[in-house]
Amino acid sequence: MLVFRKPLPNIERPQMPADVVIVGGGPAGMACALRLSQLIDQHNANHPDSQLSKENIYVLEKAREIGQHCLSGALLDPRSMRELLPGFEKEAPLDAEVTKEAVYFLTEKSKFKFPITPPPLRDHGNYVISLNRFVKWLGSKVEETGITIFTGFAGSELILDDDRVTGVRTDDKGVDKHNQPKSNFEPGYDLQAKVVILAEGTRGSLTKQLIARFALDRDRNPQTYGQGIKELWEVPAGRIAPGEVIYTMGWPLTTKEYGGAWIYGGKDNVVSLGFVVGLDYPDPRLDPQRVLQEFKKHPLVARLLERGKMIRYGAKSLPYGGWWSIPPLAGNGWMILGDSAGFLNSQRLKGIHLAIKSGMLAAEAAFEALVAKDTSAKQLASYQKKLEESWAGKELWKARNFHVNFKDGLVGGLLRNGLALGLGNFIGKTPTPVENDFETKRPLSEVGGLKDIKQGIPYDGKLFMDKLSDVYLAGSKGEEDQPSHLQVLNKDVCSTDCAETYGNPCTRACPANVYEMVDDESTPGRKKLHLNPTNCVHCKTCDLIDPYINIRWVVPEGGDGPNYSQM
Amino acid sequence: MADSILVIVEQHEGKLNRVSWETLTAGQALAAETGWTLEAAVAGSGVASLANEVAGKKVAKVYALESPKLEPYTPDAFAAALKQFIASKQPKLVLLPHTYQVRDFVPKLVTAMERAAISDCIGYKKDGNKLLFTRQMFQGKLAADVTFTCDAPWFVTFQNGAFRGDKVEAGSAAAPVETVNIEIADGVVRNKPQEVFKEAKQAVDLTQAEIIVSVGRGIKEQKNIELAKQLAEALGGELAASRPICDSGWLPMDRQIGSSGQTVAPKLYLALGISGAIQHIVGMKGARTIIAINKDSEAPIFEIADYAVVGNLFDIVPPMIEEVKKAKAGA
Repeated sequence: MLVFRKPLPNIERPQMPADVVIVGGGPAGMACALRLSQLIDQHNANHPDSQLSKENIYVLEKAREIGQHCLSGALLDPRSMRELLPGFEKEAPLDAEVTKEAVYFLTEKSKFKFPITPPPLRDHGNYVISLNRFVKWLGSKVEETGITIFTGFAGSELILDDDRVTGVRTDDKGVDKHNQPKSNFEPGYDLQAKVVILAEGTRGSLTKQLIARFALDRDRNPQTYGQGIKELWEVPAGRIAPGEVIYTMGWPLTTKEYGGAWIYGGKDNVVSLGFVVGLDYPDPRLDPQRVLQEFKKHPLVARLLERGKMIRYGAKSLPYGGWWSIPPLAGNGWMILGDSAGFLNSQRLKGIHLAIKSGMLAAEAAFEALVAKDTSAKQLASYQKKLEESWAGKELWKARNFHVNFKDGLVGGLLRNGLALGLGNFIGKTPTPVENDFETKRPLSEVGGLKDIKQGIPYDGKLFMDKLSDVYLAGSKGEEDQPSHLQVLNKDVCSTDCAETYGNPCTRACPANVYEMVDDESTPGRKKLHLNPTNCVHCKTCDLIDPYINIRWVVPEGGDGPNYSQM
Repeated sequence: MADSILVIVEQHEGKLNRVSWETLTAGQALAAETGWTLEAAVAGSGVASLANEVAGKKVAKVYALESPKLEPYTPDAFAAALKQFIASKQPKLVLLPHTYQVRDFVPKLVTAMERAAISDCIGYKKDGNKLLFTRQMFQGKLAADVTFTCDAPWFVTFQNGAFRGDKVEAGSAAAPVETVNIEIADGVVRNKPQEVFKEAKQAVDLTQAEIIVSVGRGIKEQKNIELAKQLAEALGGELAASRPICDSGWLPMDRQIGSSGQTVAPKLYLALGISGAIQHIVGMKGARTIIAINKDSEAPIFEIADYAVVGNLFDIVPPMIEEVKKAKAGA
């Protein structure tokens, strides 16, 4: 019997007052905490008689250690970091400065190099980094300020009072598979906060709650997403230079899907390799992890990886919707940052610099609100204004139609975007309507049967990995005796409608083998859903693509999840 | 009456808990700081000798709270007895060790007395006239100082290890011991104690097993587990499983082998219907001899198996059990 996680009802929870609670210790949340500390220090130096305290500013991070859930390609545009910590390059963990870039269009056997690198993909001056290491470093900076980071504590629910967010409830710890407290039970805390800052990453579960509660997606394009799967490889020396960057388009995707690969050369012959697939793909048989395996068959990649060793694996979803999908950024007692708000420039495949910038600007707004002792929507609206007027807002505006232009396929997308580059920033000032990712899936009857897939990948545990071996390299770990943090609202749909119509796309879209359809002993010939929640790498894809909107991702016990290092 | 601190020590089967000494140390320190009188009490039936043991420490007085109804322990009897006693003595502060037993009866006691308890403290501070007690929050990442706003008596429980039991000061002379006979009316004790449940240390210690028969998804149905169990019994080994089996509740989780279960290195590991995902392999690859039975000749388990049997386990295992039995009978 599957029981799903939810905060235990009718229990007394410790209450704790806070000035600011930042949910999520990624680049956005850490930059926000750091900037807030800087502003408070400045204020305190200038106002000896009205001191502000940092004691009641908290960062909640669901990973056991800082940075463990952070994953990205990653290339860092240093612009916002230079504003936050001038001279940061001297001490931050950076792998290499980008020295060389190339863009290829792939067919199954060959490749065509773009004669010039399109301007948005010119990366000179950017850095190849491990986001996980970078955030770890940023977190140590935050801890030096005296702001407390609660690692291993997840924000599990927003506390609301009418039209205000008044706090965050953390996860209940020590709950068994049947939602009963165990001997080590510890109820979640109610952090009663003046300002709650949501920096949860893509498809944050509190952000989702907030958007639903206040209909923040009204008058906007639905947010659309991509799933990025990353592998880290150690390869023999000389295959790729540190700071060398390769992007590919085309094969193994068809013209119907949006996406492409990255290959970044890091230091010590470590290569970051990954594939991003737009989750608006129409064919429910698509499996992004499999796309990456296919990709490794290409001579360009196979040659690079030959005799190498895969050392890490991970996946995350990313918001592609851009400008037209960004929700209101602030309200009574709340602000939204980074990937949670959709700050990703899909044209440049970059979002870390925007996440950091949004964190800094939200910190300014929070600081002004604390000084004014007013955390109303009106006061916090300054964050929205600051962001729109900043270079980050302008960058997002410029890239506003890039992803939408690919809506009907690759060819039209390239044409439209080429045109937009040529004509400058004049066209497309209103949004082109798009569908939610869960609405784009076509029934099997229109695309072909499940029989057509499953062959062709010679899984060898070396170049080609099955998902379970991947999960091992993601370091996913969690308490087995706890309710499932994947809430499946109607399990019958899985065995009946979804199995027949779509062939259970969750089982393929999940990069960590969390979802399986197994034989149902009670009804021979039928399959039933089986979940492996502790495999989960927290990418949230299942919550995004399910055609029946039948899956809800909530936070598991804090401290669970992948254990990314170097990623 | 002078202000006093009362430490309630805990005993099981005529022996004082180690944490009781820790709480007494805390009481001595608090008494020194506040100037209040330190007294102790032990509740049970026939606890005079325990009271004498406590009286050897630096305390002003020890009470032996006696009632036949206090043995064996029930929360109703303890709450009733201590309520009577504390109400008559009116100490300022009541200190208890934060044990399972204390967690069981103290909420009842404190609620009945309309007072408050600060539980699971790791220390105290004196701030002017105020006593602050320190509790951990967020799994020890923060410490909160908590104080009482209600009237005394104030109840405080101290965490195991918060004070040093071996630092408890001996008295210069034995403190007086007073036996207090507690009357507990009939009908007060509603709990019927059963035999004390002792959790098996861990029902199975697979790490010590020389032979392990392990089942995976290939076993198909829960009722088929019996087959593997018979083989394990015939071989004199332990039964274990891969994650999907324990996940489905077909075997308890303490029999799970692998990255989220136990790591074992037996002399013989028999893998029945286990595909051999890396998560399982890391838990058993140290086995000296691995025999794997699986229908799928491509199953990764065969890469580390010393003996690979490609076939249906339901055809192979029953005759195996017979052969093992025969061989054992012959030997």
